[in-house]
Amino acid sequence: MQEALDSSRAELQDFDEVVRYHWQRVHRFILASVRDADAAQTLTQDCFLRAYSGRGAFRGQASIKTWLMQIAVNLVRDFGRNRRLQFWKRLRASAVNPGDIGDHLSDPGVSPEDQALRKEQVQIIWRASQSLPARQKTVFLLRFVEEMDLLEIASVTGLKEGTVKMHLFRALQAVREKLRRSK
Amino acid sequence: MSAHLTSEQISGWIAGDRTPDASRHIRECVQCRAEADRLDALLAEFRSSVIDWSALQEGAEAPGRWTLLARRRRSTGGMLRWKLAAAALAIAVAVPICKNTSDRQRAAEAFRADARLWEEVNTHVSRPVPTPLEPLMKLVAWEPDAGEK
Repeated sequence: MQEALDSSRAELQDFDEVVRYHWQRVHRFILASVRDADAAQTLTQDCFLRAYSGRGAFRGQASIKTWLMQIAVNLVRDFGRNRRLQFWKRLRASAVNPGDIGDHLSDPGVSPEDQALRKEQVQIIWRASQSLPARQKTVFLLRFVEEMDLLEIASVTGLKEGTVKMHLFRALQAVREKLRRSK
Repeated sequence: MSAHLTSEQISGWIAGDRTPDASRHIRECVQCRAEADRLDALLAEFRSSVIDWSALQEGAEAPGRWTLLARRRRSTGGMLRWKLAAAALAIAVAVPICKNTSDRQRAAEAFRADARLWEEVNTHVSRPVPTPLEPLMKLVAWEPDAGEK
């Protein structure tokens, strides 16, 4: 345990390496949460800037990944709460195009019909996750995009494991309902 | 085998609520396992799509020499904080001065208005007759030099 703490603290010494290793994950989570390319870039920078400023206070009780994601979740939450930003967000041209998301399917070897169906279903999940309440969306993305387990999500969000499970269940039900309606 | 899992039970199972009963049912029931696998596969595709798509977005790449940029940004931020503090101090000093000046101006103006009013009152009360009768008074006025001429 102590070795893990020391290792996490030692890892922080080379912060450029931390940035290189964790940047894409943090950026991806923020982008998928706020759906605005410019805002995602700014919030990702803020996330690492806060981590850099507060690295002295990092005790190594959580992994660096968990710690960075905690900061990212808080930034996304604050961004969502700021109504003025929400207003500008609606006007901005940097809002991502949800139609793009289905163009990046992993297996191009399937038939065109299957490809079209999968693309449509992935787009439905993308849109459905956008309309989820903030906590459900965060939990959904952390679980199904960042592949975090329930305990990690609880640590990142500050929720109890049972609450995480409940949010995840509701999010899944909402997404499945949208998928069912599309059939 | 018990009846098939409900939609809620399958969502719960995918969400991590893996009770022994539900896990056993998923292992043994082809139909429920197929439904859970289908949902799992779809979510995996969603994941890989988001990962591939986000990697192509602007800002996805980590900036090189980030700590250097961060230090510069922090020092700029520090300078900005100093500038803001200086501006706040200047305002804090300037506002009372401006307020004093305007208070003095207001007091002087009030004093001048009072003086004008006193002057008007004095003029009014020192008149021998009311203002409308002044032309008549001119007609009957006794002028000592007028009879001698």
